[in-house]
Amino acid sequence: MKKGILYLNQFFGQIGGEDKADYEPSIKEGQVGAGLLLNSLLEDAEITHTVICGDNFMGSNEIVAVDTILGFLEDKEFDIFFAGPAFQAGRYGNACGVICKAVKEKFGVPVVTSMHQENPGVDMFKKDIYILKGGDSAAKMRKDMPLMAKFGNKLLKGEKIKGAEAEGYYPRGIRLEIFLEDETPACDRAINMLLRKINNEPFVSELPIPELETVPIAPAIKLADAKIALITSGGIVPVDNPDKIQSASATRWGRYSIAGMKRLGNKADGGFKTIHAGYDPSAADADPNICLPLDALRAYEEEGKIGSIHDYYYATVGTGTAEGEAARMAQEIIPYLKEDGVDAVILTST
Amino acid sequence: MRLEIGNFQVQNIEFGETSSYKNGTLTVNKEEALAVVLEDEHITDADIILTKPGDDVRIVPVKEAIEPRYRLNGGPAFPGITGKIERVGSGKTVALKNCSVLAVGKHWGSFGDGLIDMSGEGAKYSIFSKLINVCLVVDTDEEFERHEIQKKNHALRWAAHRLAEYLGSIVKDMTPDSSELFDLEPITKRDETVHKLPSVVFVMQPQSQIEESGFNDLVYGWDTNRMLPTFMHPNEILDGAMVGGSYMCCSSKWSTYDFQNCPTIKSLYNEHGKTINFLGVIMSNLNVSLEQKERAAMFVQQIASNLGADAAIITEEGYGNTDADFIECFRLLEEAGIKTVGMTNECTGRDGLSQPLAALDIAADAIVSCGNVSTLIELPPMGTVIGELESLMRDGLSGGWAGDEKLGPSVREDGSIIMENNAMFCGDSTLGQSPKTVIEF
Repeated sequence: MKKGILYLNQFFGQIGGEDKADYEPSIKEGQVGAGLLLNSLLEDAEITHTVICGDNFMGSNEIVAVDTILGFLEDKEFDIFFAGPAFQAGRYGNACGVICKAVKEKFGVPVVTSMHQENPGVDMFKKDIYILKGGDSAAKMRKDMPLMAKFGNKLLKGEKIKGAEAEGYYPRGIRLEIFLEDETPACDRAINMLLRKINNEPFVSELPIPELETVPIAPAIKLADAKIALITSGGIVPVDNPDKIQSASATRWGRYSIAGMKRLGNKADGGFKTIHAGYDPSAADADPNICLPLDALRAYEEEGKIGSIHDYYYATVGTGTAEGEAARMAQEIIPYLKEDGVDAVILTST
Repeated sequence: MRLEIGNFQVQNIEFGETSSYKNGTLTVNKEEALAVVLEDEHITDADIILTKPGDDVRIVPVKEAIEPRYRLNGGPAFPGITGKIERVGSGKTVALKNCSVLAVGKHWGSFGDGLIDMSGEGAKYSIFSKLINVCLVVDTDEEFERHEIQKKNHALRWAAHRLAEYLGSIVKDMTPDSSELFDLEPITKRDETVHKLPSVVFVMQPQSQIEESGFNDLVYGWDTNRMLPTFMHPNEILDGAMVGGSYMCCSSKWSTYDFQNCPTIKSLYNEHGKTINFLGVIMSNLNVSLEQKERAAMFVQQIASNLGADAAIITEEGYGNTDADFIECFRLLEEAGIKTVGMTNECTGRDGLSQPLAALDIAADAIVSCGNVSTLIELPPMGTVIGELESLMRDGLSGGWAGDEKLGPSVREDGSIIMENNAMFCGDSTLGQSPKTVIEF
């Protein structure tokens, strides 16, 4: 039989009400309060321990509370961790989110909690953990706890998770493809959607437009003193592509010295070439400077228009490259730029 | 225009002394078929290999797929490719259904090529796994592009179209098993009852991003990069006016077969006169520079508006850069008061955490999603490989790689593979076939 551990606050852990909200973490063998219900609904697992912590204690001593609880769990065997349900209680929602995330990171077991959509814990933690959609008050315990148990049973059995909507948890910002069970082809779905749109009936887009993250334009710099770096997603690399950067869907980037170089030599001269598969390479192979404009930047440097050029350039390939990968590569490149005091970057594509 | 397609339901294909068709079995004289292929002196080596669903077979690198067709007036089945320029879309054409001709590289792959498994887990990713495939496996003397990632694959692609037309000609004097009628009157000559229905255009954005000729989709043999959006009759698309290209990441690609069988056109025909008035197709394209994108979208808006379209379905053959064309066109159609639904695939990354389209706009409020190009797919070895398995990791196929710190190479010593959906042959079927969608997890 598999083992689960449940986290409850002071109220549901039967310590007391608001006056006990400073209750320090404790762990008890077996089930307490709502844990009895959860235990009865688990199919091939039991709740072996219950962790209880006051909401205020977690809120004002988060590091101590988390360390203490993780300490309790270190010598315990468990396959799943539950917290709540937290309903619409904000502090409890935060506590469930904090402890679930910490347990997941430390022990790698599945974690499940439940909150009402207006609980601030939802937005804080939905990307990190499974938060089931729950009711607004403890009156919904008999509805929310069975949902936690049902989803927990599924996770414990290793059953296929059918997505946020089907399983009833808040979307985690993860979009993956599935084969539709009824195999309705895209054209039929498109025509049904179109007819609903034409007739002003409600329809559901399969690709809701996400909120756009925009980057504010940085304040102007003094060019004459500035150190400028060159970065390209145009795939310009030394001819032997030493870092084996992929020609599409790149996950790798390279850092190459241009110290003292007037301009980039071309492919024929054994200098630089493009390995980007998403555009006609002939022009960039003949003159890589049209993609990574080192020649023009050197001219500016000589004229005194800019202060200096960073001794390295950075390159990856931007075709089929997922936005998340691109962001990671930027995070990896930034420390090199900061270390050398780079003031500005010219980012060229294709 | 009125087009009748006489369908022959092929259940079996075999080689034999005389090319013929009887009781669902297509017999092919291999020598005769290869003679048609070898009409091009640039083809240095050619073979035809037959495979059917359920076979323990993996095919890679696949460059193109074509449904065998023959036009009964004797005109070219693929004008501008297998013969002179002649309007198609009316009259009678015969088709060999349930099968396709696949253009397969004997050794060398290129960026836009894909993979097909004929059985097992991999077979769910491509509609071509469910067809009897006549694999034309070819090597050529096109040395100039032998080691290029981008290849035009001209000799092979043209030969595959000739072969498809040759196979179609086998049934030219026979009575088809069934026939489909595609009859759509000129817009102003329709019944009052049809005029009263909401009018719909289908906007197609075929792949046309390479400036140099020879890579892009063709319309009557003309490079779609060199055109402005134009109005076409849907029958033209079903009857061989559009031919697939040799550039796009493969799961996003539209093969000639996909054009010939365009499911969205067929669905719009089904609704025509019942729920909608299907006006026709606006053939647009996909461009590289912003100005070109804006100009094309403007033309689509203009044509749709002046046809009096109330609604539109729009689809793109590509992702990433081309999302800008797709979204701009979507936005301008909505701006003109034309209610629009889009069909596209997404690039959310292997972990599903990336932004789904490179360009986004709140005007695009109705989208049907056809798959995630970056889905990681791991498949066991197959008994037989048609083509050359190494091409998946060696030749820059969009969903394959030579090495990866965590995943290793795409092709392993035992013949098992790990790849992105990107290299599944026409896997996301954004012309309407896709049984996939993308959901939140």
